[in-house]
Amino acid sequence: MAQSPPNSSSPFISVRGLTRKIGWQEILRGLDLDVHRGETLMLIGPSGEGKSVLLKHLIGLMKPDSGSIVVNGTNMTGLRERQMAPIRKQIGILFQNAALFDSLTVEQNVGFPLVESGIRDRKEIEQRVHEALEVVELAQHKDKMPVNLSGGMRKRVGIARAIVPRPQCVLYDEPTAGLDPIVSDVIDQMILRLQKRYGVTSIVVTHDMKSVFKIANRVAMLKRGVIHFLGTPEELRNSPDPEVQDFIEGRSGVTG
Amino acid sequence: MVRTCLMDLLCLPGRLFLNFLIYMGQLAALLRELGIAIKSGVWRMRLVAHQIVSIGYGSQVVVVVTGAFTGAVFTAQTYFKFKDFGVETGVGAIVSVAMCRELGPVLAGLMVTGRVGAAMAAEIGTMKVTEQIDALRALGVHPVDYLMLPRFFAMLISMPLLIAESITFGLAASYCVVVFGFGVPSAWFWQHVVEHTNEQDIIYGMIKGLIFGILITVISCHQGLTASDGAVGVGIGTTRAVVYSSLALLICNFFLSILLNYFFPLGTAM
Repeated sequence: MAQSPPNSSSPFISVRGLTRKIGWQEILRGLDLDVHRGETLMLIGPSGEGKSVLLKHLIGLMKPDSGSIVVNGTNMTGLRERQMAPIRKQIGILFQNAALFDSLTVEQNVGFPLVESGIRDRKEIEQRVHEALEVVELAQHKDKMPVNLSGGMRKRVGIARAIVPRPQCVLYDEPTAGLDPIVSDVIDQMILRLQKRYGVTSIVVTHDMKSVFKIANRVAMLKRGVIHFLGTPEELRNSPDPEVQDFIEGRSGVTG
Repeated sequence: MVRTCLMDLLCLPGRLFLNFLIYMGQLAALLRELGIAIKSGVWRMRLVAHQIVSIGYGSQVVVVVTGAFTGAVFTAQTYFKFKDFGVETGVGAIVSVAMCRELGPVLAGLMVTGRVGAAMAAEIGTMKVTEQIDALRALGVHPVDYLMLPRFFAMLISMPLLIAESITFGLAASYCVVVFGFGVPSAWFWQHVVEHTNEQDIIYGMIKGLIFGILITVISCHQGLTASDGAVGVGIGTTRAVVYSSLALLICNFFLSILLNYFFPLGTAM
């Protein structure tokens, strides 16, 4: 395990030359990316270009064909599954479909990371679960089973589960997809609040350009397996690149 | 075209053997992870208890019914033949040894495979294709520790008890058929059972149950953990879990019978 002591100036996540094929398709082609501590990086790009695949690499759920991923000073590439646990505990993730445990209630789902981290004080677990559910405005639904929740509610429970262990970094895979504008704003404000209060680093895969301009510190556009654009939301808006502008404006080039 | 087909046909045995080796390697790797999980000492006893209810308690009806009717039909067939030789009172001896050594463990094992193995593969497989296993991993929890280990322990505890139940109900059914159905004196039946069955036969059946339990758990959990391609993949995994476990159980039973007979030889009853 190559480990170098993290310092506040070093990026929280550093990706170098990441390549990954799925079947015959080359999804990531030598991708480089630094994610700084405490920033909110929004990952945009056309569907099927590997944004979720990149996110799964960052938490070690997928292994790259080549390249390196250094998280908080620890090189994740080459680590065994069990060796990744300490790194994974620093990172929370919201999956695209929330991936709630369907045999557990909402409360048990959100409390799961706390129980598994060894906390045995029931009161502490209850309080922290309640706080996390309050953040996503679902405290009154704690006894429901995931199957009885709407898609948006499941996603919010997924967010509560991701943030409850107070990780240093949270990865969000399309957190506002399928949510109404008000709830989307609640999620955006929550990401901002986590950043301001606790200095949480956030990486958000999204297609919601409104969210991008509202909460991003930097924006990375993934295309053809590499970072096609990287800059601030202002730089994104003023980019002369026609592909970037087409994406922002939602222009397909197809005429009716 | 013909040449390609011929080549494919010639390659088939090699490919099948290679796939078999890969599969064995995967099972060995899974067993290794299970060993690490056991060694870790984090056993999640609440989940074990939950699985005992699901595997052990929930399987009782099928195992009891299977044991009872197997005992009954085996008794009837044995009685019909033994009657020709005038030794129908000896039915109890044959039935009790057969139930303890073979019929009880094998049939209970097959019933548990169908009920529990399929459920394990389907449940874990569904978790796999809905990213719940990825969620576990992302939370720093190894899927083998959380999903397989409790099932493994529950199976180790449940299988010998289920087999004991199967044997008991098989013998009880045999008693009913012989004594109430065919009018053989009760004392004769018990005399032969006690004379020709000893604790070694029961230990023999229990050991088989333990091994079958391990086989069913490892094969079924492996199918669940490697499921892919949505609902279709879960269906395929579930079918394979039942088929592979049943075949493994029957093949393993033969070799176990030979091996265990060295330690617990048949016909040494007091």
